[in-house]
Amino acid sequence: MDSASRERIFWVTCPQCETKYYVDYALRFRKDVALKCPCCQRSFAVSESPEIDDRWL
Amino acid sequence: MPKNLRQYISQLKEQYPEDLAEISRTVRPVEFEVTALLEQLERQQKYPVTHFKSAENLFGEKSNFSLVSNIFATRELCANALDFPRSQAKMPLSLEYAKREREQIKAVEVSSAEAPVKANIQIGEAVDVRTLPIVKHYEMDLSPVITMAIIMKDPDEGFYDMSFIKTFYDGPRRLPVTIHSPHLERILAKYEARGQRAPIINILGHHPAFFLGGLSLSPYGTNDYDAIGAFLGEPVRLTPSETWGSDFMVPADAEIIIEGEVIPGERAIVDPFGEVTRHYQAQCIRPVMEVTAMTHKDNAIMQDIFSGHRGHWNLGGIPKEGSLYNSANRKFGGVRSVHLPYSGCSRFTCYVSMEKGGEGFAKLIGMEMLTSARLLQWCVVVDEDIDPFDETDVMWAVFTQTNPNRDVTVINNARAFFTTAMGNTKVIIDATRPTDIAFPEKIKIPQDAIERMKPEDWIDRK
Repeated sequence: MDSASRERIFWVTCPQCETKYYVDYALRFRKDVALKCPCCQRSFAVSESPEIDDRWL
Repeated sequence: MPKNLRQYISQLKEQYPEDLAEISRTVRPVEFEVTALLEQLERQQKYPVTHFKSAENLFGEKSNFSLVSNIFATRELCANALDFPRSQAKMPLSLEYAKREREQIKAVEVSSAEAPVKANIQIGEAVDVRTLPIVKHYEMDLSPVITMAIIMKDPDEGFYDMSFIKTFYDGPRRLPVTIHSPHLERILAKYEARGQRAPIINILGHHPAFFLGGLSLSPYGTNDYDAIGAFLGEPVRLTPSETWGSDFMVPADAEIIIEGEVIPGERAIVDPFGEVTRHYQAQCIRPVMEVTAMTHKDNAIMQDIFSGHRGHWNLGGIPKEGSLYNSANRKFGGVRSVHLPYSGCSRFTCYVSMEKGGEGFAKLIGMEMLTSARLLQWCVVVDEDIDPFDETDVMWAVFTQTNPNRDVTVINNARAFFTTAMGNTKVIIDATRPTDIAFPEKIKIPQDAIERMKPEDWIDRK
């Protein structure tokens, strides 16, 4: 389901404009989904994010 | 005349002019000018229905549609929408809501010629939603977002179900929709399991009672068009859609209707969006609606919800208060009042006052609340002499009558639906006065003295 793990998130950084924002953890390891930067609209894979913060309790 | 948004605004202007702000200067909704203005009004403790009579569309041109927000921004406005006394806008309003939830008025059918929403019709590639003044609400929102209700139809049982669903902009006829309500998820799953495109409509404006009625906590299988009739106090008028004809009926007195189909299995990126929690919703993937038609009244008014603010909170809170009151009283009795305060976004926190039947009952009531409304994460139970609508009173009870070692119950691994620091945790706080130990009594002034000493009779007039 798309809504799996909805309560857990991880932070990414846009490789183009360096905006930091967060994403549903269900997409943390999805290779078939491109994220989209809310600031510059660039599409990118999670692996392209220069930084990832997925710390959790 | 059948109830509709324009008639409601005119009535408000006549009866409560102070509750309506009209703005003639052209605003740019996509440049945050709508939310920036509403935010500043809120900082001044002002919550008028705000009608932006001139607004730019997504092309950056003056739109043919005006825009209205804050329709539900106070409980008094919500009472007004239901033709209920404004002076009764606390618990009585919630109970009135719960009463109407149990009633239905069957919808009626009218021809397209009789339907104001058919005054202007665009089909297929003639539709371009960029002609609408869609609002970008917050700095980090992925795109402008339509915040109003959508309706789907169960493919087996034929009932219509309505829910407020965010609709993102991803192209002139391509709109990702964040279907997340339990009923609409079930309906969509049926179509997707069959590989069928799911009919869906987006209603961008109607009389406020129409939307309040569509939010009732009715069981799966309830025809929301009939349920809404009880809130309007008259039947919803329905007319055939452009895309599916009589197989999918649409409200004849809506301002603007977007018709479309959810493409089976297709998903698109949505969010961030400033949500009810006042946090951004995390980016995720959701279904996609392909627009097939758009119809609208002449001089139609597009409605928007100022998400994460009082109108948004009231829409979720008021329906739940009445339902929770009824369900707890059916099971246990003794519940006096239920309130979902703004401090908990009218979603996560519930204050309940009860006539204490003995130790342990507060916890049972709390459990009932937390399981009856799935978004709730906190429930505070107080004695009947505490008003749940007075947060200072409630917090006084928490801080003076609660023993954290005994009266705070933490329930772990109980599903949450938004990202908060609590995660999958729920909490019940029994803030009722302990009756099984020697405990101080609350101060009180004799009632006869209160009645004797009316300030208006005693304070010298200037």
